[in-house]
Amino acid sequence: MSRLLATLAAAAVVVSSFAVNMNVALGHEHRAVGPYTFMVGWIAEPAYVNAANGLSLDVIETGNSKPVEGLATTLQAEVIVGGGAKKLSLALATDKEAPGHYAGSFIPTKIGDYIFHIFGTAGSTKVDERFESGPNAFEGVVSTDSLQFPDRIAANAELAARLDSLQTLVIAAIIIGVLALLASVGGLVMRRR
Amino acid sequence: MRPLAVIVTCVLSGAVLMGGAAEAHANYVRSNPASDARLVKPPTEVRIEFSEPPDPKGSDIQVLDTTGKRHDKGDVGPSGDPNGLRVSLEPIPDGGYLVAWTTTSAVDGHTTKGSFAFVVGNGPLPPPPPVPETAPPPSPLEIAGRALSYAGIALGLGTAFFVLFIAPASTDPRRESSLLGVAGALIVAGSLTLMVDQGAKLPLRLGVMLGVRAFAGLMLTAVSLTPRLALMRPVGALAGGGVMTLGPFATFRPRRMIALAAGIAAAMTATLVSHATALGSLGSMALDFVHVLSVSVWTGGVVALLWCVLLTRRDETAEDARALGSTVWRFSVTAMIAAALLITAGVLQSFDRLVLIDDLYETPYGIALAVKIVLVLVALAIGGFNLLRWGPRLRAGIRTRTALIRDTLAETAIFVVIIVAASFLTAFAPPAQPSAAAYDQTQHVSGLRLEMLVASAGAGRNTYVLRVHQGLAPITGAEKVAFRFTMVEHDMGQQELVATERAAGEYVADGSPTAMYGTWKIQTIVRLAGREDISTVFTLPVGAPTGGGTTTSQVVTIGPYTAIVFTDPATPQSGAPVTMFAVLIGKDGNPVTGKQVSATFSGPSSQAPINGIEDAATLGPGRYKFPIAALDAGKWSITIAVGNEGSGPYSLDVSR
Repeated sequence: MSRLLATLAAAAVVVSSFAVNMNVALGHEHRAVGPYTFMVGWIAEPAYVNAANGLSLDVIETGNSKPVEGLATTLQAEVIVGGGAKKLSLALATDKEAPGHYAGSFIPTKIGDYIFHIFGTAGSTKVDERFESGPNAFEGVVSTDSLQFPDRIAANAELAARLDSLQTLVIAAIIIGVLALLASVGGLVMRRR
Repeated sequence: MRPLAVIVTCVLSGAVLMGGAAEAHANYVRSNPASDARLVKPPTEVRIEFSEPPDPKGSDIQVLDTTGKRHDKGDVGPSGDPNGLRVSLEPIPDGGYLVAWTTTSAVDGHTTKGSFAFVVGNGPLPPPPPVPETAPPPSPLEIAGRALSYAGIALGLGTAFFVLFIAPASTDPRRESSLLGVAGALIVAGSLTLMVDQGAKLPLRLGVMLGVRAFAGLMLTAVSLTPRLALMRPVGALAGGGVMTLGPFATFRPRRMIALAAGIAAAMTATLVSHATALGSLGSMALDFVHVLSVSVWTGGVVALLWCVLLTRRDETAEDARALGSTVWRFSVTAMIAAALLITAGVLQSFDRLVLIDDLYETPYGIALAVKIVLVLVALAIGGFNLLRWGPRLRAGIRTRTALIRDTLAETAIFVVIIVAASFLTAFAPPAQPSAAAYDQTQHVSGLRLEMLVASAGAGRNTYVLRVHQGLAPITGAEKVAFRFTMVEHDMGQQELVATERAAGEYVADGSPTAMYGTWKIQTIVRLAGREDISTVFTLPVGAPTGGGTTTSQVVTIGPYTAIVFTDPATPQSGAPVTMFAVLIGKDGNPVTGKQVSATFSGPSSQAPINGIEDAATLGPGRYKFPIAALDAGKWSITIAVGNEGSGPYSLDVSR
């Protein structure tokens, strides 16, 4: 498992470095926020579960496409899953080689949709935007099943589901055992009388 | 046993003859105008077809404009279709209209409600109407009527069976009469209560069934009050079991035979207005009938054993105790067989009625069923205890009558609760109730019950409904409910529809994401505050003939190509625009683009040829669109040609 994670993490880092250096925003959502355009997506796409990744945010001035720098201290970001079930604050890091680019790293551990909440100020513009993965935006986090070879490693959720079903079976077996025991005791008592 | 065999044969034959295909709740199947139809010219009437015969007397169809003004003439009546109703319309201008319908089942008098919309001209469709409870909960009067009826049937049938085949010859006839009299009174009271509950909207068929049941109850009472009455041929014949008093079938116990026949006849009426008859299969009806008979023999028999034998016999001497033990043993064996039959029939029936095992605690029907199962198991345990513990002692000449009376009283009390549970069970709509939707699947995910309903199985515009419940409670105010569509056979990308909540726990989205014939996966995402997303996948066959809908998707061979041809809507109606699509696929399985594809029409009227429009950007590669303003009703033969390379036939039915 750890080898797979390491491989995926390495791949993610390589892909993200390409993305950062080329300053492109493939599969990112573009949204006008005041005079700025925010481009939000994953550092590495596709985003695989349990692989190092994170928020990729690029901010440019809409009028002249000039990168906007210095927002790491005025903007805050958090990643949310579901209806706010879990939130993680992300520290925005800058890259001198890629002005206007900000990244907040984390490892997504669930398949599905993620929401990036970006708030604070950009210049004099108040910012409070939620960017959600989906068909018309950036992709959600996907399984690594299609990449695994030759053996498939079960995901945590899959293992948890298997344990749950085993637990149900164990409980059922205990109940049947207790009933059988009671029936045996009852039979013995009746026979003695 | 010969008379009994004849009775059973007669009654089963009657059940076969009287049981037609019907369903317990009249659900919408199709209509003209169709749901969400866009019409070129205004209709003069609205016709709706339901899943079973509705009773026009208790049914209503209202056609309302966007301001709520009625435009129907209120003359609801049969449409001429087997299960159809119609209402005439005043001349209506262009605009959106809502059709709100209410029907009463001709089978059991249950009411269902629903609505759909259509638009005349180019205006927008009215907003989705609020969805009422499709099957309102039963009234207390209905539950009471059912409970009284079932108690009477069980007591009458069980007592008659017990005194005929199990009880010793010296059984006190006055006690037997009192039980039969009470049973008859309960049946009459239950039938009358159900009639009062239905009131003026009592459907004829249901009225006849309740009348037969009440008459059977009257016969039970009559033969209990005046045993000699049973010897009179006309009365016996009217009771349905009178054949036993005639000629070669005559028996020396006509009263008991008539009581048994009356009980069986009353039980048969219970089956003929039940969910089993609703399923429309003789197998289900037979299972239900066996279930009712066996539960009656068991429960009514226990009461008869208690009242006619245990409370009157003595076990002071060893001989008395052995005689009593012999009766108890005969009844125990009978009860064991009855219990085995009722459990088998009940389990087999539940396969048809339940969708998920979770239904047992998440639906009113399931809860009533679960309560009944638990109580039956408890009663069975008590019965087993009597059989194994007290039975052998009695047969050994040891006094145990008092303990047996105590246990039998407990069983009787449990049976009363079982009958009340059965009354709820038969009044609630089962989870597997046939749905008007072309696709209706339920999944249980992360503690939520997700039921996906899709209005049409055809390609094109559709309505997607997700019902979200946790236990019995609808989940309201979800932050987001979304449907994501991907096609299995081809890479059509992923499209998303975000649903809006239009009733408690019911989320609806309209659109045309499944525009192509094939298999589609619908990933549903339910987002609730403070919880992780709940997601699952439903597989929807588009174009396959499922549910009540029909399909117009056909595979047409055109020279070296294969074309998948279908229309939107899938079931076109006269006067309404229809779009035909042809997806052209080459021998290598890839879509074929850049061809001149044309359609020529032959049918009830003239229609100019149409050249297919190819727009890969919006339609996808290899897909040609043929917009048709309107077609007259009837069978159309359409020839689809690809340049000079070949042509193939496509047939299309346009309904009125």
